[in-house]
Amino acid sequence: MVKSELMPKKLRFTAARIAISFALVSPAVAKDVVMAVDSTFTTMDPYDANDTLSQAVAKSFYEGLFGFDKDMNVINVLSEGYDVSADGLVYTVKLRMGVKFHDGTDFKADAVKASLDRATNPENKLRRYALFSNIDQTGVVDDYTVRFTLKKPFSAFINVLAHPAAVMISPVAIAKYGKDLRDHPVGTGPFKFIEWRQTDYLKVEKFGGYWKPGYPKVDGIVWKPVVDNNTRTAILQTGEAHFAFRMPPEQIALLKTKPGLEVITGPSLSQRYLSMNVRQKPFDNPKVRAAVNYAINKEALAKVAFAGYAVPSDGVIPAKMEFFQKMGPWPYDVAKAKQLLAEAGYPNGFETELWSAYNHSTAQKAIQFLQQQLNQVGIKVKLTALEAGQRVEKVESAPNPDTAPVRMYYTGWSSSTGEADWAIRPLLAGDSAPPKLFNTAYYRNENVDRAIAGALNTRDPAEKARYYKEVQEQVWKDAPWAFLVTENLLYVRNRKLSGVSVMPDGNFHFEEMELKE
Amino acid sequence: MNPPPAICTSPAAPTDSIRTPWAEFWRKFRRQPVALVAGAFVGLLVLMAIFAPALVPFHAEDYFDYDALNNPPSWQHWFGVDPLGRDIFSRILVGARISLAAGFISVAVGAIVGTLLGLIAGYYEGWAGQLIMRFSDVLFAFPGILLAIGIVAILGNGMVNVVVAVAIFSIPTFARLVRGNVLSLKHLTYIEAQHSIGAPDWTIILRHILPGTMATVVVYFTMRIGTSIITAASLSFLGMGAQPPTPEWGAMLNEARADMVTSPHVAIFPSLAIFLTVLAFNVLGDGLRDSLDPKIDQK
Repeated sequence: MVKSELMPKKLRFTAARIAISFALVSPAVAKDVVMAVDSTFTTMDPYDANDTLSQAVAKSFYEGLFGFDKDMNVINVLSEGYDVSADGLVYTVKLRMGVKFHDGTDFKADAVKASLDRATNPENKLRRYALFSNIDQTGVVDDYTVRFTLKKPFSAFINVLAHPAAVMISPVAIAKYGKDLRDHPVGTGPFKFIEWRQTDYLKVEKFGGYWKPGYPKVDGIVWKPVVDNNTRTAILQTGEAHFAFRMPPEQIALLKTKPGLEVITGPSLSQRYLSMNVRQKPFDNPKVRAAVNYAINKEALAKVAFAGYAVPSDGVIPAKMEFFQKMGPWPYDVAKAKQLLAEAGYPNGFETELWSAYNHSTAQKAIQFLQQQLNQVGIKVKLTALEAGQRVEKVESAPNPDTAPVRMYYTGWSSSTGEADWAIRPLLAGDSAPPKLFNTAYYRNENVDRAIAGALNTRDPAEKARYYKEVQEQVWKDAPWAFLVTENLLYVRNRKLSGVSVMPDGNFHFEEMELKE
Repeated sequence: MNPPPAICTSPAAPTDSIRTPWAEFWRKFRRQPVALVAGAFVGLLVLMAIFAPALVPFHAEDYFDYDALNNPPSWQHWFGVDPLGRDIFSRILVGARISLAAGFISVAVGAIVGTLLGLIAGYYEGWAGQLIMRFSDVLFAFPGILLAIGIVAILGNGMVNVVVAVAIFSIPTFARLVRGNVLSLKHLTYIEAQHSIGAPDWTIILRHILPGTMATVVVYFTMRIGTSIITAASLSFLGMGAQPPTPEWGAMLNEARADMVTSPHVAIFPSLAIFLTVLAFNVLGDGLRDSLDPKIDQK
């Protein structure tokens, strides 16, 4: 009885599998590239996306006025250059001519205005509103010239326009789809959007009218979210996927032995740290926070949790970031940690809670390692790896800084503007505490806040560097975090695939994507 | 009608010398080599668990060697090294304590409460019996592990709560088992004799009926320990039981997941520990049943 019920189900399943594999195999003949990624996409509206991945995928069909090259330098994309007024308030941008949207609309100044007016209108409640809120108005000078007027001078404004969120959307599509734009992206990019099935795939196909002659070099891309680490590793080995990003570090040794695959690693802007709630005992005492830093062997952490694909943090922001100030790594010294704890009045250590912002296996290992290390100096921590929902509830939307339950918090950050401000301000400025932004240490220092504001308002690189140096030195001294590691990027591609790379911030570069048979 | 169990057997045995129940049990038990081995294994395991702190070559939680991560078994580390640089053999030994204690305590609590409820339900039948049995039916309606997960979800994570959960879902099985026994025992002549001389209920229940049910309870108790160890390990595997760095076997398996493709030994040894222990308890339970049940083997 049970068996006869099960059989048709199994057959149905097999049939579905065959159908899926046909769907995947037949486009492969037509030179479709299958890209396996570690998470589902949240939206296809980059202005409303908080995750790097959704924005990376949206680069298939969207482009911005500016962009970043592989080394995170700003380059022209739909623009041909810009001028800044002497007071730093007005940016005039020349647009590229002869560009068409997928729906046939010409790309002109009105499209730029429509896209950014939508982004700067608070009523649209777009998640990236804060990034663009400094734009006072966007004006059309002529068909191929736009003028941005800012509310206050902001030296990194071109970096904002190069942010993967700042894409140009067809004004016709904006009017037509309104709120449904998230499911109907229409841009100027090399590929047209075809279909998006939340948990299965997102398909795009070559756009014939692309402005750059000879591009794209493949007929289409299938973006496949494959959440399970082992499955993602497996479909690479079978050839079902040509590329996989975020690879579990513990499986890299195995993948390196496969001749058809290439393991690529490089520096990233993705850093891991342990924030300590400085409003609460015992973390209000700087000696305790310093002791925690001394108690953790960061080299060993890189080895245990990241299979060696991480480097100890030697500053407040990742080394690849502009204005980075090298001050570390913080030495590993158990005796010093114990001494500092004793001086702070905790000769026998203390008990506390340690939460992790993630619950994947790498984070699980990292927090168990931290528990092991802290135990050596008498700090007993109770671990909880939060799920995304718990994280939002317990940490990111804690309404009152005085009663926020977070103590030690293992988390990370990757600045997708590639610029120091967004790597520091959301995490360490006094008024960036949750629920507004992500200052989970509830750190507040007047010098730091003043210097952050100073750096934002100046356009003199030397002055800016001075401000950021001050910020980083003060933060390092106060140690609201245990500075842990900067992760290495880790991705694997089939040797048939070329021209795809992952940028230090986790965004993708695939303009030159090509598939050899 | 069935003859009453071991205690008052040999109604007509003029030629045989009278054997004590223990001798009778041993005579049958020693003829089962598999059960003997299982019994010896369980005995060894219990000894190891008791003396684990003295036996372990390395500290189960505070020893770590970051230069030997995931190293396979060697002379120094018999079962190899885990992803956090700890000695797996030491962790398994200490884990035996936790698993055995969890299995034994939870079943003991379940057996005591369940037996009492079963005695009452069986002896008095009436509304009390009905209430107890219907409540058992409700508990039976849930698959065991689901019930345990539900209880832990209410009580919160941790090994103590897992023990409570396993104990609770052991109660109805023992209650039902004992009730069945009581129903058949209480109509036997020797019980009716007790009634006729005016013995109080509790004397009849505790001194005359309870011993008659002990054989089945002991057998079921032994087998149930195996199930309980698996349930406790499963809950720890799901992150609801023992919390890191406690070397509970199920928790160890969970921690091994990420590395088991590249370093299988990190998962093999905790799995083997669970497998062999549960198997030993089940085989031992089988052996006990065959030896304690007077209906089996009169050769």
